[in-house]
Amino acid sequence: MQTVMRTILLLLLWLAGIRGVFADKPVFELEIRDHLFIPEVLIVPANTRIKLLVRNHDPSPEEFESYELNREKVIMGKREAVIFIGPLLPGEYPFFGEFHPETALGKVIAE
Amino acid sequence: MLLTSVVIVLREVLEAALLISILSALSGIMGISRQWLLWALGFGFAGAIGYGLGIDTISGLFAGTGQELSSAAMQFLIYLLLIIFAFLAGRSVSGRGSHGTLTVTVMTAIVALAITREGFEILVYLFGFADEWQQSLAVLTGALIGAGVGISAGALIYYLFSSMSHRYALLLGLCVLSLVAAGMISQAALLLIQADWLPSQLPLWDTSAWLAEQSLTGTVLYALIGYEATPTAIQAACYFGGLLLLLIVVLMSTRTPQPSPLEKPL
Repeated sequence: MQTVMRTILLLLLWLAGIRGVFADKPVFELEIRDHLFIPEVLIVPANTRIKLLVRNHDPSPEEFESYELNREKVIMGKREAVIFIGPLLPGEYPFFGEFHPETALGKVIAE
Repeated sequence: MLLTSVVIVLREVLEAALLISILSALSGIMGISRQWLLWALGFGFAGAIGYGLGIDTISGLFAGTGQELSSAAMQFLIYLLLIIFAFLAGRSVSGRGSHGTLTVTVMTAIVALAITREGFEILVYLFGFADEWQQSLAVLTGALIGAGVGISAGALIYYLFSSMSHRYALLLGLCVLSLVAAGMISQAALLLIQADWLPSQLPLWDTSAWLAEQSLTGTVLYALIGYEATPTAIQAACYFGGLLLLLIVVLMSTRTPQPSPLEKPL
């Protein structure tokens, strides 16, 4: 019984990924102006959970979308949104504004 | 602008159309009047408008993760309702009694929730262009084309299922719904990871090199089986656990206790 409990506890701890859940995540900011992402390139540490703060300065809504980061979130006009990303392996992760994909382009570089 | 609009609307409509077409085909097979669909569409559109109007407030809840949590809750609810539906439909096909009113209520709720979830994004997108009238025509045209293609796909699936033998259509329909439901559970898990309610992990595998999620096949598979190129362990566990649970329900409920009156009108 004790072994079972210990295994379950270990599994839960593993799931909780302790470091990721209990530590404060570094915050990175991103702005949307005139359907452009500023900055276009965001350099973040690899293998770290990150809190992305996206401020939409445009009056129109935008959807932050990235297939590589597996993220999707609507950000209404003049609002900001919180999106947690990572931990990421070193590499490039493009993202775009789904409502204005011709101009709203950017990428996260994890290193 | 036109193409963007087609893609956005098609992606959303496709997911809802798949659920709607299979559920209406199966309800026809179970001898249920399709009138429920009108109610479901009505509730769904009202829900999408309500959710769209409230999204500004909702997004701000729970430290800015209200959008993820509400969306995940809706997907989880659709999953639970699909389990109930699978159970009721399975019993109906194995001749163990039909529960018409409950089945209709469950189907109405599933479709209404699906339209709320998918429809709100289309509304937010379209209303974002309300001030830019030069672009609105292209955006609206694209939206109509996207919706048209999505609805046509739904109609095709509906007639495909309606043309099969009753038992086969029901079994296949329940299997497809199980895959869709598993995709929903995995999506709900992903949203909770995005909201930091579930821990994030490195992806288990990466199949984006041979089948990108943004490709046409990827998009269709996403709607159909919840295809994900880089799932994490939690997502995969939710997907396969959710799928297994539903398949067990389908198997248990469709088991025929005695030679069943399947070919009779139910």
